[in-house]
Amino acid sequence: MNKAVSDEILLQVDKPARYVGGEINMVKKNPSDVDIRFAFCFPDVYEVGMSHLGLQILYYFLNRREDTYCERAFAPWPDMEEKMRENGIELFSLESQQTLKNFDFVGFTLQYELCYTNVLNMLDMAGIHIKSKDRKEDEPLIICGGSCAYNAEPLADFVDIVYLGEGEVLYDELLDLYKEYKKAGKTKAEYLERLLDIDGIYIPKFYDVNYKPDGTIKSITPNHPKARKIIKKVIVNDMDSVFYPEKQLVPLIEVVHDRVTLELFRGCIRGCRFCQAGFIYRPVREKGYKTLLNQAENLVKNSGHEEISLISLATSDYTCFPQLANGLLDEYRDKNINISLPSLRIDSFSLDLMQKIQEVRKSSLTFAAEAGSQRLRDVINKNLTEENILSGCKLAFDGGWNKVKMYFMLGLPTETDEDLEAIADLCDKIVEKYFEIPKEQRPRPVTVNASASCFVPKPFTPFQWDKQDTYESFGRKGALVKNRIKRKQVRFTYHNTMMSSLEGVMARGDRKVGNAVLRAWEMGCRFDSWTEMFDFEKWKKAFEDTGLSMEFYANRERSYDEILPWDHISVGVSKRFLAEERERAYKAQTTPNCRQECQNCGAKAFGGGVCYDK
Amino acid sequence: MTNDNVRYRFKFSKGDNVKFIGHLDLVVAFQRALKRAEIPIAYSNGFNPHQLVAFALPLSLGYTSTGEYGDFQLPYEADACEMKQKINAVLPDGMYISELVKLRSGVKNTMASVCAASYSIFFDYDITPNDIEVNLEKYLGQESIFVMKKTKNNTKETDIRPDIISAENDSVNNNGIIKVLVNAGSIKNLKPDLVAESFCGYINKEYNKYKVSYRRNDMFMKDAEGQLISLIDGVGEY
Repeated sequence: MNKAVSDEILLQVDKPARYVGGEINMVKKNPSDVDIRFAFCFPDVYEVGMSHLGLQILYYFLNRREDTYCERAFAPWPDMEEKMRENGIELFSLESQQTLKNFDFVGFTLQYELCYTNVLNMLDMAGIHIKSKDRKEDEPLIICGGSCAYNAEPLADFVDIVYLGEGEVLYDELLDLYKEYKKAGKTKAEYLERLLDIDGIYIPKFYDVNYKPDGTIKSITPNHPKARKIIKKVIVNDMDSVFYPEKQLVPLIEVVHDRVTLELFRGCIRGCRFCQAGFIYRPVREKGYKTLLNQAENLVKNSGHEEISLISLATSDYTCFPQLANGLLDEYRDKNINISLPSLRIDSFSLDLMQKIQEVRKSSLTFAAEAGSQRLRDVINKNLTEENILSGCKLAFDGGWNKVKMYFMLGLPTETDEDLEAIADLCDKIVEKYFEIPKEQRPRPVTVNASASCFVPKPFTPFQWDKQDTYESFGRKGALVKNRIKRKQVRFTYHNTMMSSLEGVMARGDRKVGNAVLRAWEMGCRFDSWTEMFDFEKWKKAFEDTGLSMEFYANRERSYDEILPWDHISVGVSKRFLAEERERAYKAQTTPNCRQECQNCGAKAFGGGVCYDK
Repeated sequence: MTNDNVRYRFKFSKGDNVKFIGHLDLVVAFQRALKRAEIPIAYSNGFNPHQLVAFALPLSLGYTSTGEYGDFQLPYEADACEMKQKINAVLPDGMYISELVKLRSGVKNTMASVCAASYSIFFDYDITPNDIEVNLEKYLGQESIFVMKKTKNNTKETDIRPDIISAENDSVNNNGIIKVLVNAGSIKNLKPDLVAESFCGYINKEYNKYKVSYRRNDMFMKDAEGQLISLIDGVGEY
């Protein structure tokens, strides 16, 4: 097959294999034999995008249709972008190596807010008009999905279709309709109007947003008779019968995650109040462990990977976890295949399991404590006590582990300096716990790696009305914790404060923020989640140039009666429930999880999952 | 480690599709292919068991090859021909095993055996078949050929003439091609780009390193008489 880029150029860029495709299990079709060409775009570099489970699922889901060819594109690294622009090469798909401009759909998965400039850049590099209203009839429809799609307002001027929910539900219907409309010679505008009949599909251009003089939203009104007032996400109810690929794309260069991925369940019962995923993916829907064991067998056989990773928001909450873990161990422990268990709650069962899995090598243990003090953990409804953490560490230390990873957040609502000091003290206590073991039983030194992220209030969480700390405040708090730590065995780092600030702006941004994104892109912003690429000065300038204030979006508390930019979107969880949760948070009251006691959050309306478990 | 393992050697090609896969990634890709082919590969003991597969001299990024070699071990004997078919069915497009043999006992591993390699240098249009025809012999006739060779920390002037065993004009139509046999391996190793660059310099033409392409044709070891033979010649047990 002809490559879109000559060898002469490929030899001059870093990791040329990012751009040539040809991976194991890549789908090959003749583009002229299909009715629909779909470009699945991940707006980050190849190695990141190829590690994303959603891509693996949707790639094969769409390609199982004979009439559709789903191909992939990633954001070219700046060295490649420069060469492509210099040589007039448009952004192309890895499969056919053809420009995205001639595709029917260009779809972006939005996994984090700081990829938005890459979305614009990829459109521009493909020779596609950036703004929806400028695109011609022969240009692709731009569709986006993923967790950031639940508030895609900053991208409202650029995308045609926002898909709210899980891809397996509506794509067949969308593509069938598209084919029908294309064959009948109808226009894109007619197709978009037809999509208004489908819940879960949000078409920004059919909604007008008006603002008050103070910049807050006055109204969000449908401007088409068929446009619904509220668009509700769609989800899969039966996880055992839903499509899951029997193979995975296996890259030929090292990517972030090289492994077989098993998805245990979607959603989370916990309801940690800071966690967007915990609300937008409700309710919990599990796969049966037999289904998972079958999927593991296929994927291992067809990939050749030597690691199986269990993915979910909280592995220990999987109801058949012992059966699954033992099933995997029985099958794979003698076949040189490792099993990795992220997001595991540390108790005696899981430690015993980890002992079995990792025989000799001891990886580090991870605790997502999120806050240092019990009071603040109650505020965020993080159901983990200091006693849990310390006894977990003790068990692990007795079992031979000597490395502990701790995750915290800075700037949580109601946080005081005492809460921050508690972070440092908790880390010190873990080290002291290690020294309780008799000296002869601890041959290796203990290390505690603590890292803190900066809290970003997200839409559809109880803290969606709260103000975010300024980056200056994050900096002070990070330093406070660092200075408080006494033990030299504790290493403390915290996330880029300015990046977190920008993330805060984007997460709760409205349509006006799109102007700043466009301006920032024009000034050269790309790969904003990459420290070496992030340029906060340019972003400040972009907001200034477009007459917007970052503080307005990030650092301002909203009142309950303010219209939020995402108020016309429903994830099932009611605004009333979120407000109640916020009130409980401020009183440091915890809320039982979904299996303990239903709180009537609203997710029951989907008709499935944990809401209906006996 | 006790070694009752059965050893196999395979010769494979690396085509245009996979020439941007670096050596370490290639090793991993191969290991995964062996898994997919369900070859009962032996693993090392120790803290971090790995497949017992080893490759001869790494190939530079961007080079194609028709003569790459590797050895692997199995805990018991399996049919070589059948394994070759199974592996070929699951290798990435552009990689192909042409030969696979069970090794006689006592054969040294590929990396320890290799002492020479043949490369084809495909020039861009600036270097014509005529340039090669007229100048190659004179170029080789020089007593020494000094080039700047990169080492770990700096570049130093090195004479590469002793490492060029032979070279010939292998041009096809209008495409200037030099086929060169050079010392290769862990003791003495010459990369063909230094030959290409110094040849261009010798005839006062510009060497454009991104426009010249390279193919490794084969790798060689010495037989009992000191003759160069392919790494897979005479090593098999039938």
